[in-house]
Parts: sequence; C-alpha cells; structure tokens
Amino acid sequence: MGFDFAGHGFKCGIEVHQRLDSKKLFCECYCDPGKPSPEGRKAVLRRRLRAVAGELGWLDPAAAFEAERGKEFTYYADSNSSCLVEADEEPPHACRSEALETALQAALLLNARPVDEVHFMRKTVVDGSAVSGFQRTALIATDGWIDTSKGRVGIPTVCLEEEAAGIIERKAGTAEYRLDRLGIPLVEIASDSSIKDGEHCREVAEKIGLLLRSTGRVQRGIGTIRQDVNVSIREGGRVEIKGAQELACLPALVENEARRQLAFAELRKELSARARPAQQVHAVDLTHVFAATKCNFVSRALAAGGMVVGVRLQGFAGLLSREVMPGHRFGTELSDYAKAFAGVGGIIHSDESMQKYSFSEAEVAAVRKILDCSESDAFVLCVAQEFDAVRALGAVFERAMQAFEGLPSETRKAEGEKSVFMRPLPGAGRMYPETDVPPIRLTPAFVKSVKLPETFEEKRGKYLEAGLNKELADKVLRESDSAAFEDYCSTGASPTFVATILVETMKSLKRDGVPTEKIEASQLKQFFSAFAEGLFVKAAAPLILAELALKPNASVSSVVEAKGLKKFGAAQLSEVISFLQKQGFYGERLLGEAMRRHRLNIDAAELRRALSRKEDAAQ
Amino acid sequence: MYSKKIQFALRKAGAKPGFRVRVTESKRVFEGILLPRPEAGDENCVVLKLENGYNVGIGFNAKTRIEALEGGGAELEKFARARNKFDLHLPSVSMIATGGTISNRVDYRTGGVHALMTPEEMLANAPQLADVVNLRSVLSPFRLASEDMCGEEWKKLAVLAAKELNDGSRGVIVTHGTDTLHYTSAALSFMLKHLCKPVAVVGAQRSPDRGSFDGSMNLACAAHYAKGNIAEVAVVMHGSSSDDYCLAIPGTKARKMHSSRRDAFRPINCLPYARIWLDGRTELLRKDFHGRAEQEVVADAVFEPKTALLKVFPGASPELLEYLIDKKYKGVVVEGTGLGHVPTEPADKKASWIPAVKRAVEEDVVVAITSQCLYGRTHAFVYSNLRRLHAAGAVFCGDTLPETAFVKLGFLLGHENLSVEEARKKMQENIAGEISPRLTEQEFLV
Repeated sequence: MGFDFAGHGFKCGIEVHQRLDSKKLFCECYCDPGKPSPEGRKAVLRRRLRAVAGELGWLDPAAAFEAERGKEFTYYADSNSSCLVEADEEPPHACRSEALETALQAALLLNARPVDEVHFMRKTVVDGSAVSGFQRTALIATDGWIDTSKGRVGIPTVCLEEEAAGIIERKAGTAEYRLDRLGIPLVEIASDSSIKDGEHCREVAEKIGLLLRSTGRVQRGIGTIRQDVNVSIREGGRVEIKGAQELACLPALVENEARRQLAFAELRKELSARARPAQQVHAVDLTHVFAATKCNFVSRALAAGGMVVGVRLQGFAGLLSREVMPGHRFGTELSDYAKAFAGVGGIIHSDESMQKYSFSEAEVAAVRKILDCSESDAFVLCVAQEFDAVRALGAVFERAMQAFEGLPSETRKAEGEKSVFMRPLPGAGRMYPETDVPPIRLTPAFVKSVKLPETFEEKRGKYLEAGLNKELADKVLRESDSAAFEDYCSTGASPTFVATILVETMKSLKRDGVPTEKIEASQLKQFFSAFAEGLFVKAAAPLILAELALKPNASVSSVVEAKGLKKFGAAQLSEVISFLQKQGFYGERLLGEAMRRHRLNIDAAELRRALSRKEDAAQ
Repeated sequence: MYSKKIQFALRKAGAKPGFRVRVTESKRVFEGILLPRPEAGDENCVVLKLENGYNVGIGFNAKTRIEALEGGGAELEKFARARNKFDLHLPSVSMIATGGTISNRVDYRTGGVHALMTPEEMLANAPQLADVVNLRSVLSPFRLASEDMCGEEWKKLAVLAAKELNDGSRGVIVTHGTDTLHYTSAALSFMLKHLCKPVAVVGAQRSPDRGSFDGSMNLACAAHYAKGNIAEVAVVMHGSSSDDYCLAIPGTKARKMHSSRRDAFRPINCLPYARIWLDGRTELLRKDFHGRAEQEVVADAVFEPKTALLKVFPGASPELLEYLIDKKYKGVVVEGTGLGHVPTEPADKKASWIPAVKRAVEEDVVVAITSQCLYGRTHAFVYSNLRRLHAAGAVFCGDTLPETAFVKLGFLLGHENLSVEEARKKMQENIAGEISPRLTEQEFLV
C-alpha cells in the first residue's frame, strides 16, 4: 500500500545543485571532472580546521561536531586544475561574470526576481571539503515558481556558490580530498516545502534540471547535478538528505525517509508509556571477556591494541532490531551514529545474532552480567581504540535516549533509495560576509540585458516541427546535448537521422562495448555532413561509427573507403540490377535480393527508383 | 554609510543597524536584520541579513518602504571569549598584541574587522595556547596595522618586552601584522640588549574568522618557542603550506617573500633556529644561539626617524638621493643591484650617483649599500663601479637584508653619542645576527 503522504502531514522541499561549465567562480582554473585533462604538477597539503564561533559567539552545532572529531585533512592539488586560491593561499579573484549571468538566466527561467545587490557570503564548512573552512555563496534571486502536474511549487531562492572539494577517502581522524572540483561554479535552486509526495519530488527535480540544461552552460555527466531533499512529517523532525544523484531513486528515497520518521514517531509513542531511564552513559571495558574469543575480527583488533567497550541500554531489548526503513533497523541507525561521530567501523548489539560473530554463550553471558543487563535491556559493543570506542558508544547512547523525544533533526547522506546519518543539522548561524569580494550591483538595465535561452518546451515544439516524433524529441532533449544536435542538423542531414544516431545508435554501440566517447564532436559533424552528401547509407552508419571510435584521428571518408561502405552510385546500381536480372530476379524479388547482398551500400528507395527507370526503359 | 535618502528613511522608521526590519519593494517583501552599509558597493542599497543567513542588498527608491519590527534584533559586534585559566604547572609568558590579521576579528554579521585585545578573546582564537603556557598578561600598547607602524612603535615594544621579561615572564610573544613583521623583529633584535629569554614575533596570513586560520598554529608554536631555550628574537610562522610545523627564523634574517601564502616568511642567507611542530617537538637546525640565562634585559630603545630606504632601478636619478640629503636625512640604505651597484657611468653622465654619494658622505649622511637580490653578499671590489662607490664613501653591509639594514641604521643613528664614523663602521659589523660570517650551499631558498 502506498504511503499516505497527505495524512501524515508530509512536507518536502528540494535543493538542486548544478555545476556550470565555465572557469571557476573565483579564479582562472578550469575543471570538468567528466572530461579527461592532462595532468599537471602535484602537491600535497595537510591542514587542520578548527571550529569557529558563529555570529552570536557560539559554535555552530554542525561545525563543532566536525571540529570535535579533531580531523587533519589531506589535499591533493594538481597545477592544471587548481591554484593558490583553492589552496586557501591567495584571496579570491573577482566573481566570474559568465557564471553570474548563467545563474541569472536560470533565475529568470524560474520566474524568480534577481536581488538588487549580490553579497557573497562565507558559509562555514568544517568537514574539510573547503580548504578555507568556508564555501562562498550568494543569493541571486528570490520569489520564483514552476508549474507542475500537482500545482505550482515555489522557488524561494536561487544561489550561486562554489563547488566543494571531491572526497577521496574518509577515515577516523582524517579525510583526503582532491582540489580539482573545488570552486567550480554551482547554481543552487531551492523549492519551498509544497512538494506533495515522492513522485512529485522527482518531477520537480527533473523540471528544474531541464530548465538549467536549457541554458546550455552546465556541466554534464555523473555528479554534475545533485539534489538535497528536506523531508518532514507531522510527528517527525526536520531532516535534510544530501547528495541524491539519481532522479529515479528520488521517489523511494523520499518515501523511505517519511516511513523512517513515522517508525520513530511510533517508537516514541511506545516509549512514552515508560519512564526514561535515569541512566548516564557508562561505557565499560569488556576486553578481558574476549581474551580467547573465536571471533576473528575482535581478536585481530585486540592484537592491534584495540579494546572491546560496552554500554547497556536499559529497556531497549528487541527495539534495536526494529525496521525503520526497508533493510534498515534501529541498530543500523545507532551504528551510523557511531561511525559518524567516532569514525569506528560499526557496533555490535544484542538484538543481532551472536552466532554471526562466533561469540560463545559464555562470552555473551559475561557481557550481560558485567553490564548488569536484565532481559529487557539491550547492550551495544564497540571494538576499536579506547578513545574512539568510548566516543562511539557515547553517541550511540545519546541517540538511543533521543528515541524518547522523537526524531532528531539531522543531515543524512543519500545512498540510492536509502540514507545514512551524516551529522546534526546545521544551525542558521553559518554565514557571514565574504569581505574579499565586493558586493555586485545588478541594475535593472543589466538584468534586462541577460538573454534568455529557448526553454525545453520551445525547443520541443521546434523539433516536432522538424519532423522528429514525440519520443525522439524528448530523448534528444533529455539524453543528449541539444546544442550539439542542432549543430549536426545544420550539415543538412535529416533531423530524424541525427537524433536516431545520437540517442539510439550511439547508445547501442556503447552497450556493445564500443568506446563511443572517443569520437570527437568534429568527427561526428563530418560524419553527418558525409551522410547528407550521400557518401554512405543509413545501414552503414553503426559500422562507420564503431571504426571512428577505434581510430580517433581517421577521417570519415577514409573509413568509408577502407571498409567498402561507399554508397553505390547510379552506374553501380544499374550493374547490380542487370546482374540480378540475368540471374532471373525481377520486381520485388530483385529488390529483396539486392538489399540482402548489398545492404550496406544501397539505399532501398534509390534502388527502387533505378529499377523502375530501367524497367520503364526496357518496355 | 548609507545614502542620505536611506538614512532619512531609517530615521523615520526608527530603525538602526541591528534592528529587525521589513523592506517592501513594489512586489516583494524582505525581512531581516538591518546591517550597516559595507564600504564597497552601492550606498543606495539597504543591506539585510535574511533569516536564511544570506545578506542581500535592496535598491532603495521612492516606492521602497522600511519598517522597524518588534523584537528579534541582534546585538552586533559581539565576540567569542574563552576563559583564561591559570595552570600552575605551565610556564608564564607575556603577550604583546599590536594589531594585524592575527588579532583581528570579523563581525560575523557586518563583515567589519575589529581588533581583539583581551587574553580571553585571544584564547578564543587559539585555545591550544592555554595548554602550552599561562598568559600572564596581554598588553596592548597600540593597535596598528603593520603598514602603519614605525620606529616609535618599535621603541615602545622593546621597552614593554624588556619590562615583561625582567618582571618574571619566561618569554614574550608579540603578535603583529605580517607586512612589516620582519622590520619589527629586526628592531627588537637590535634594541633588546643582553636578551636572555625567547621573544617570538608572530602573525597570521589568514583571518581568525575562518576554520583555516593559520595564526592558531603559529600562536601555539610561538608559545612553545617562548617557553623554550632559544633566547633570541625569532619570527615564528608556518614553515610550509601545510599545518605541520613553524620555523623560528632569526629576527634579523626573516623576510616576507609572498603576499598571501602561510609560509611567506623565509630565512634569507641563514637557516632557521628550529622547526617547531604543533605538539611542541622542536627540531634544532643550528646551534649558534644564546641559551636561556638569568640577567637583566636592557631596552636600548632609540631610533632616528630621518633614515630612509631607497631602491635603485634602471634609470634611477641621483636626484632621489639628493632630495634626502636636502631634507636632512641622516642615513640612507640603498638597495643596489647585484653586488650593490648604483648607476655609476651611465651614457648621460649627469645620471651617475657617485657625486650624490660623495655629497652625502661630506654632509655626514651615512650611505649603506645592500643588495636587492636579497640572497648573497654585497661586495665593494669585484667591479670597478663598486670600487668607485666604495671610494665615494658608501659602506657595504655584507649580506644584511635591506629592511634589516634600514632598521639597524636608524637604531645606530638614534644613539646621539655614536659618531657618524662609528655608525658607518658598525654597519659593516655583525651586531644581532644580521651579517652571516659564512654562507653555505644549504642556505639558499630555504
């Protein structure tokens, strides 16, 4: 049965982040992670970030959370894709005007009104993804909207900001990043919370994505567009899920989160009948219990100087195995907290099968005894270095106790259709002015001068008129680069042929293992122009493309020649016809036989015309 | 400052920065905290901090309405403080805060920059300090950006530092803007006589509002230096672009070599005293320093303001030097080319500096020669033009850095009982580590 979104007071908003295809926002570096680029000189930087007090003198909870983990960050810089600006060793240059213009185009397409003066802000980020400890971001426009199948959805803000550094690896106490992505301009579009359900969320995200693409100045490929969704239900908390990349996963991701919130609301109802245990977190060293354990990973960890630390959760027996999302139990949730707060590998809890870990009954009994667990109590173990294990169990205990209050507000990370805990939800005090970048006045005259691109609806109409069927037109718009499509059509090749090659032939070749990405745009244009000039027939197209992919420097005509794929001219057609007539083929049978033998060189319509001319002449 | 029109509208609405206000345009309404107008940008835009944290400028015209709202305002210009705990087991050091990036604080709402001066505010910026030393005092004799400092301030700093050291401080940390930090470290090197405890001069290249504030590690390393055993004036700043260690660079041999990098300060013509890691580990890189001792530190705090530093360039006219002589300057450090050249026999004979140098010497103006190469020594005899400059009476300062030579000359000329001849002689002798007796392979581009 579907989830009753309206009945549970479901609220959902979305933020779409799209990378723009221009040099970086505040320096002269260019990077498109989707395009291979030559490597430059490498540098490795090691930095620490400290928590900074927010505007009111207190630390932002999210910032403090990261700083508390005492991380040292390693940054890998390549001189071709980053400079001293990304390394936080040089102040920002002036804001890139073409990025600002693209952001304004997006804003206007979303019916939003640009602000009069743009003020760049520093948004505190201490997870290491910005070397400076902040991301530069500015509000560009407000009060926009889009129409959807389920009514109008507001777009309160359109922002222009810097992309974060790309994570390589996150470990306890450290994280590694690459600087190539850092600083790529990013447009952030936020909807209001009027999204009705998971499917609607997908529709809104897709609409915004298509509008952004119609500017023609966005990066394409994996990771270049991503969605953050905010979900809450009446009895839940405010939860932000970051980094959803697959539109197809959005409906389930949103529904799973709503279900998770509902599960915790129900849990709270159950718990409200009980008194909250007057228990403080009390982590106990249980290492000696496992001195001779058969559990391999525990004995390995102990040999490496680790400890087994345990904590009792009074009255939680049976609750930890409760499913809060498909395949995701309360215990998994606690484990995510342990991982996020202390960087440990995970936890072991008493609602799991102890055989799975090869723990003996005596070991489990000893743990229960030492922790003073009654039958209704649960226990959680953590195997790690002492400091990390104690910190992990502290986080687990706090989260378990929060179940009495309901759902904590948190930031989660999308993983397909599910999400895992990332950090507490940041407070509002995360931003302060970027004084290195002066405010930018957007005069009405300047805003007027921003040219709006054709929207997808307009393009679609144009393509239908050019003869594409609906399906093909949509595919061109969604799956390929419409600017390139139009460019290829300018060679004179029929739009339907160009579209079929781009959205069908190339894809099926790729599925068959042909490296079609190696075909240069210039080769492709040559290919279409050769087709328009009648150098080859449609049936030969896949063979030619496959050859071009293997020989990136080859010209189309040389490939056609070498492979014997040149279209037969009038003389050759006449020869084929005469030859087959001598063999006793006439009319439709002759046409069939000719195509069977020379499919790759003959255009059927031309053959038919040639045959009728010849037959006419014979009569 | 806002435009007159906006100021009038604000007065009428009874609103001022920090108030929550509503600004209504033709079709749009903004609510947020009114901010003071930043220096840059359009004075005719009202700046609000919206609830979502963004600041935004709203163009003001005849149709714009501003209303003050009840409650929800914010106290601007409020800064974090941390308790200055006193741990009897830790050594006590003094801090002298002068200004500059390291002791600046951005107001998170307005973006305005303000100086921090109390120990509590300093500790909020660099909490690790409290684990290394006790700050027995944070003195703030003046608050100046480093480009605004001069001999007068160096004298005050020397007097204060000597007093603190003699009053029982284990060491002194001087926080400073970075632009002229190396001038100050040189001045303290010359002015603190019988120095027997460490003096660390420290700054920051990134502001403390950000998570990546480099001054946090610089201060911690400076604290380690101040309680250590190198009884010299040293610049303690990042050694590399990473947050791993600081270098303690001799005060007369440090130079800012980059306008923005963390590791801008480099030792020139020498090795640093030590590499100091964040955890206090100190790797000594040389042995020729004074160790800690018990004796009275004397502040020989004098400086002759009529001292100048002049850079030679192709086509530089001797009028520049003549001007300084006319203006009664008592000493001029010339940053010559290569081994210490000035224009000597140019095609236009009138452009030679030799007559001007001769005149300076005749009028008791000390002309001291340094090299704009920075690395390596000057030399008076390798080329005939150098010999002529020497014969004209200019003194060659060996490998003394131009900025250090300027400070040294001003310091020497500040001594009224020191004759011009003695000052000329001392410019060629090492007083505080400014002239290296030997230069070796490993001291280049450290």
